[in-house]
Amino acid sequence: MESGTVEISVAGKPVQAKVGETIIHALWAAGMGDAVKTGCVGGVCGACTVNIRFKDGKPGGTDLACLRPVEEGMEVFPCPVESIPAVAPSSEPDVASLQAAFPTLNRCTKCGSCTTACPMSIPVMDSVLRMQEGKFEEVSEDFITCIHCGLCRFVCEDKVKPHNMGLWVRRSEGMSRDNPSLDQSGLEPIGDAAEQEWTYLFTGDPEERFKRAKYFREHGRAGA
Amino acid sequence: MMDWARDSLEKVAASRKARAQEPAPTLTDAESEALLNEFHPDYLGMERVVGVGPNAGTQKFPLELAELLESDSPLPQSFEPAIEITTDVLILGGGGAGATAALTLAESGLKVHLATKLRLGDANTVMAEGGIQAALTRQDSTRRHFADSYVGGHGNNDPELLRALCEHGPAGIRWLSDLGCLFDQNEDGTFRLRKGGGTSVPRVLACRDYTGLEIMRVLKDAVLLTGTQILENHSAVELLDDGEGQVTGAVLWDRVSQKLVSVSARAVIMATGGSGQLRIQGFPTSNHLGATGDGLILAYRQGCQLIHTDSFQYHPSGSCYPEALAGQLVTESIRAIGAQVLNVQGERFIDEMIYRDVLAGAIIREVAEGRGVPTPTHRSGVWLDTPLIELKLGKGTLGRQFPGLIHRFERYGIDPAIHPILVYPTLHYQNGGIRIDPSGQTDLTGLWAAGEVTGGLHGTNRLMGNSLLDITVFGRRAAESVIKKIPERRAATLAGLKKFREGLKAIQPPSSGTAPLLFPVASRLKFQLAEKSERLSGTEPSQEKKQFREPPDPFGGN
Repeated sequence: MESGTVEISVAGKPVQAKVGETIIHALWAAGMGDAVKTGCVGGVCGACTVNIRFKDGKPGGTDLACLRPVEEGMEVFPCPVESIPAVAPSSEPDVASLQAAFPTLNRCTKCGSCTTACPMSIPVMDSVLRMQEGKFEEVSEDFITCIHCGLCRFVCEDKVKPHNMGLWVRRSEGMSRDNPSLDQSGLEPIGDAAEQEWTYLFTGDPEERFKRAKYFREHGRAGA
Repeated sequence: MMDWARDSLEKVAASRKARAQEPAPTLTDAESEALLNEFHPDYLGMERVVGVGPNAGTQKFPLELAELLESDSPLPQSFEPAIEITTDVLILGGGGAGATAALTLAESGLKVHLATKLRLGDANTVMAEGGIQAALTRQDSTRRHFADSYVGGHGNNDPELLRALCEHGPAGIRWLSDLGCLFDQNEDGTFRLRKGGGTSVPRVLACRDYTGLEIMRVLKDAVLLTGTQILENHSAVELLDDGEGQVTGAVLWDRVSQKLVSVSARAVIMATGGSGQLRIQGFPTSNHLGATGDGLILAYRQGCQLIHTDSFQYHPSGSCYPEALAGQLVTESIRAIGAQVLNVQGERFIDEMIYRDVLAGAIIREVAEGRGVPTPTHRSGVWLDTPLIELKLGKGTLGRQFPGLIHRFERYGIDPAIHPILVYPTLHYQNGGIRIDPSGQTDLTGLWAAGEVTGGLHGTNRLMGNSLLDITVFGRRAAESVIKKIPERRAATLAGLKKFREGLKAIQPPSSGTAPLLFPVASRLKFQLAEKSERLSGTEPSQEKKQFREPPDPFGGN
């Protein structure tokens, strides 16, 4: 198990790959690292979008090349998605302001391509429907794992921009949210008591300061 | 799944219930120190001094970095900069620190260019999982945040930098929230705070296990709505200076056209990030493609002091199996809410919430002394008992709080809610870097720096959640300082490089490669100029397959 090689093709070119490695690592080993756009190599930047066909001719879906392990006979088609201009969020988000920001909101014909294309398993189409209904809290939750690879927008024949709208909703929700943790007094580190504690932590040679820091973290306050 | 480890997995499962209530093993300070000295990669002497530059002969660097510091520039000897772009502020790096600086400069009236090797946001920031910490509760204080970080950094932190970080932490969180970052909340709407390794009170905010992604996508969106000129696929390969010690611009390499672009700037902000892709001592890394320490090389050539660059963070829980995930981060938060670390016998051997460097040392010891779990992929690791979370906190907890973990592993047939996962330390963070003052200014006029590329703030061991705060606080501070102190434009020349090249002549034998490295050795991606190469290798269809097949319609059904 976990040994041997397979042959895949990337953009029509044959590539020898080790069983268990990802498409990106196979491309690196073959000196073809430029064939697929690459960023984080960890599944969160969305740069390395590809489209895949299995050996038997069946579609293997869109995916991230940095996470997709190689399989014998797999054909890989680089599928880079360009970004589009950003749209400013709103501090009072509602369906009307979303619609104004993204006029194609209601053009969704519910084909489901976006959900199929998403490498993060986000229920994209359902979430677009929730956007139309103004269920923004749920939408924020849906798009929490969105890496903005753009595939949902790329495959949409109706020019709906699901991930851009998802970010708009999340940012707008964030900007309009009350944060009680940030409203407490005591957040401003000004005052005599705080100054005295800083003086405590900054007094003495390095060894003494280290001792004082240890005391402080254990007791939450300055020592004698 | 993982049948090759069946015996060990059975032991782990059998002891789980009894272990759930057990207190963590305790460790004395002397034992911690011994673990570091004997097993932590920083302490094994795999370092040397260099013969050129401001730290020549006085400071040790890891061998991989020392080699680069003594390497020549990839710029041809005959190259002379002809300015194509004239700007006020040039930000080098498109991660969290660079984006934060760009946003802070947006209303200043200054013309800003941001150059990044990959795309805006392709950076270690986007990969950060566990959280960001700041003192936000009554039981906590900025001083306590300082004390935790100072002890964690072995007291090697620059105290003024650390104080600035802690004092401006709450304002940094407020700034991110105002931009629209959504952090996880409790039912009453307050932030849900967790402990991290070495925090004495819960202080870490998170957005599930995608905290860096949340921050980066918001910063990126916000930057794109400013007038910042973004230069993607533009790597910085050299800094320009006026010949009198002031940094005045940079030479960029456009990877697409394979041409050099010279930029004149009144201020340069170095935000190029870390260097995990140097794969020090052969360790795997959790870092992105571009993390090759370029900023260290460029600033060093200009005369900036580097500090603590012999100190790296080996994150204790890098994924160790399957091979496709080797080195990738498994967030510390999973340990913070109760996952234990176990050897092949299913035994606990360390307090999982001890400082990162000590825990990494302990895991390396278990494996070195034969108590690790060997994989069929020729690695060895220890178990992170993720199913214990489900036992302690209820079924479904992992899926709700760590969707990223589940998503990454399930495609390989591993469900962390049922099976523990194998971990081993991974090269995660560059603790040291370019010396700065609390306003983000380097030793040189015209050059500021922020984020992972800088050194001093974290001492020789960084606490979880302090790097996302670092980019927020110091990205802003550097930009604010630039606004206040931006010098007048001066000539942009390669005087600094010429002087460095003189110094290099003393290095015998000369280094064979060039620096900055730009891309990891393993990627085989290289700097090259258009006139020297006819085409990018590997992108043309092969001769034997003349028919280029259309890609499949992924939605056409089977």
